[in-house]
Amino acid sequence: MGFALAAQPRKHREQPNPDRSLAVRGEHQRCQRGPVEGHSHLLQTLHPRSLVSPFPSFCFLKFYGWSSIRGSLYKKLPLTEQSQAAELPRDFLGISVPEQPNKYYFVIRGQRIVLEADSSIQTLMEKLQSYKTRVALHFDGFQYQLGDFQLRVGKVVPTHAENLRGIVMEVEYLPISSIEKARQVMEQFLDIWKEAVSKRSLPGHFLHIEPHFAEYGLTENYTSQHTAVQYATVMAQLIATVQAVQSGRI
Amino acid sequence: MWQAMRPQQLQQPQQQRLAEEAMTAATNSNAAQPGEAPPKQVALAMDRLGHAARFIADIRIGADRLLEALFVSAQPHQSTKPLHLFHKEEASMRQHLQDLRSVGRQLEESGVLNESLRSRSNSWGLHMPLVCPDGAVVAYAWKRQLAGQAGASAVDRTRLALKAFTDQKRRFFPHLDDGLDDQSSESAPKKHSGPQVQMENHQEELIEYKTLSDVLINLEKEMPHLKIFTYERLGWLKRASSLPSSANDPSMETSKEHNFLSSSKLRPGGATAVAAEKVAVIELLCPSIFRAIVSLHPAGSMEPDSIAFFSPDEPIRRGLKLSVDNSDLQNWDGIPTGGSYIHARGFSVYHVFRHITEHAAMALQYFLGIRAETALHSLLHWICSYQTLFIKACSKCERLLSMDKKSALLLPPVYRPYRQFSSIQHLSSVKNTSSELSQAYHVGCFSEEA
Repeated sequence: MGFALAAQPRKHREQPNPDRSLAVRGEHQRCQRGPVEGHSHLLQTLHPRSLVSPFPSFCFLKFYGWSSIRGSLYKKLPLTEQSQAAELPRDFLGISVPEQPNKYYFVIRGQRIVLEADSSIQTLMEKLQSYKTRVALHFDGFQYQLGDFQLRVGKVVPTHAENLRGIVMEVEYLPISSIEKARQVMEQFLDIWKEAVSKRSLPGHFLHIEPHFAEYGLTENYTSQHTAVQYATVMAQLIATVQAVQSGRI
Repeated sequence: MWQAMRPQQLQQPQQQRLAEEAMTAATNSNAAQPGEAPPKQVALAMDRLGHAARFIADIRIGADRLLEALFVSAQPHQSTKPLHLFHKEEASMRQHLQDLRSVGRQLEESGVLNESLRSRSNSWGLHMPLVCPDGAVVAYAWKRQLAGQAGASAVDRTRLALKAFTDQKRRFFPHLDDGLDDQSSESAPKKHSGPQVQMENHQEELIEYKTLSDVLINLEKEMPHLKIFTYERLGWLKRASSLPSSANDPSMETSKEHNFLSSSKLRPGGATAVAAEKVAVIELLCPSIFRAIVSLHPAGSMEPDSIAFFSPDEPIRRGLKLSVDNSDLQNWDGIPTGGSYIHARGFSVYHVFRHITEHAAMALQYFLGIRAETALHSLLHWICSYQTLFIKACSKCERLLSMDKKSALLLPPVYRPYRQFSSIQHLSSVKNTSSELSQAYHVGCFSEEA
């Protein structure tokens, strides 16, 4: 059953808006100064689909759009009691993942803390007014399956704006959930993918930033909390890059 | 070539249909043979079912030969030899199909393939054997053998049915039994002097593991990190349905419990002997790597019957169908919810484990063919060679992942050679760091001579 499906070529459900991608390209060229940096999963290229096109199209089974991951950067509002300010983190990241619609994750990168909470905590934060969302990003795109590998390729767009901040690619090896055991398989897959992509001379390259799961106190088996930490890392990197570019420009 | 293709294509659906006919329940009823006492009718029916199974096996072999002839004729420099082969095979196939049809008709007439005769009054309490939709055969209507779930291949079913028939026949019609007892008696261990072939030496040692408990205890000792569980047939179904979604905490408590219980069950003693007799399913869990299910038939024996590999995380419960109705937590992509598909004849949802399952089925047949008494021991040790599944690179191309051309998938080396597999060699290689003896191959890199 699975084999037959993988062998059928599937048409992409949504066609990208050609005008939009042109506009995006223009903006990118304006924004970029030098070689593009980013997280291992972050690649500043023209269009997400070009990332998967190196593999023959019949290998992929494309699904409906990948319901988006939303990330927010919470920044502390100034408080009246200054004495407590030093202990509290200045900012942290909030992530929601599609696999767990009822949960919301907070990641404090400085202290390596990840918190899993009910999704109603967002309304709680709004009411408390102690921290406010400064930046809200949307990771939105498509999900592909190559056998036991699942790829999610999407654009990173601020929630209330149209400009593209970057492109994110997430690779998941489905059969096992142990990070150690799957490490070699994942690395080889990325090698194969990099090799295929490099032949197409797409702009941009990527670095590998290791999300140190152990420091967050996370277990060996991959869970949604690991996903939250990974996306938090991506977001932080992305925000830092954008800010650096912007400040450099000014 | 056109002529060659058509009869083969015709025969394939025919073969399917007849297999279905012979092995599934029909709806119409027919009168039984008059004038024959019920026991004789039942015996005849059993015989005919055996014949049917053999014809089906013959047909499958014939189909293989036809394919071979086609393949040979596709090679260059061939004369009329393949054509001649083809005609011969075609004739014998037609004959087999005819025979199968006639046996099927006889069976239908005698009421085997339907339930029409259950209410006969003069049946002496014996009913005709009933062939259930999933291929299990019930010799007597009041006793159902759990022969496995639907989805088994026709060969599996045939072999299982044949085994079931011979068991029942042996128990209830001993006077019909002829010449089948030779297989069950054990040959005495041979004595050798001088240089010994390693294989024979190895077989001698394996004869020490005569009972199921011996084999399992030995395995536990040699592979300490592997978790071994045993179940009765129904016990496994219950466990499979309640398999946890993640490998995390609450489940490990219960499985530890179960392991302790089952290993205490297998220790020699009065009460344990009964439990060991009922063992029908063996589960080998290599934490974070795989879960292998081996089914034994009959229960309590040492004869493995089928084997399947699964991910240790199956069944998965994450991943929602992106529908508006979030209350319906159905997995996307038609992945089954619940663990009822996890059994020795089931298939994993992951491609890597599916490939391993197919390969393991062949290994099982090989071990059974070589020497049935030690088949279980060899099989279990061979399964353990999969501990290196996601780590060991292919012995031929030296890479971990490789694109399998046929299925267009990236797979790690899923094949472990089983010919000339000796558990002694395997153990010594596991203890060595340079494991040359334990090899792994990708699907494309594997060749039968290895």
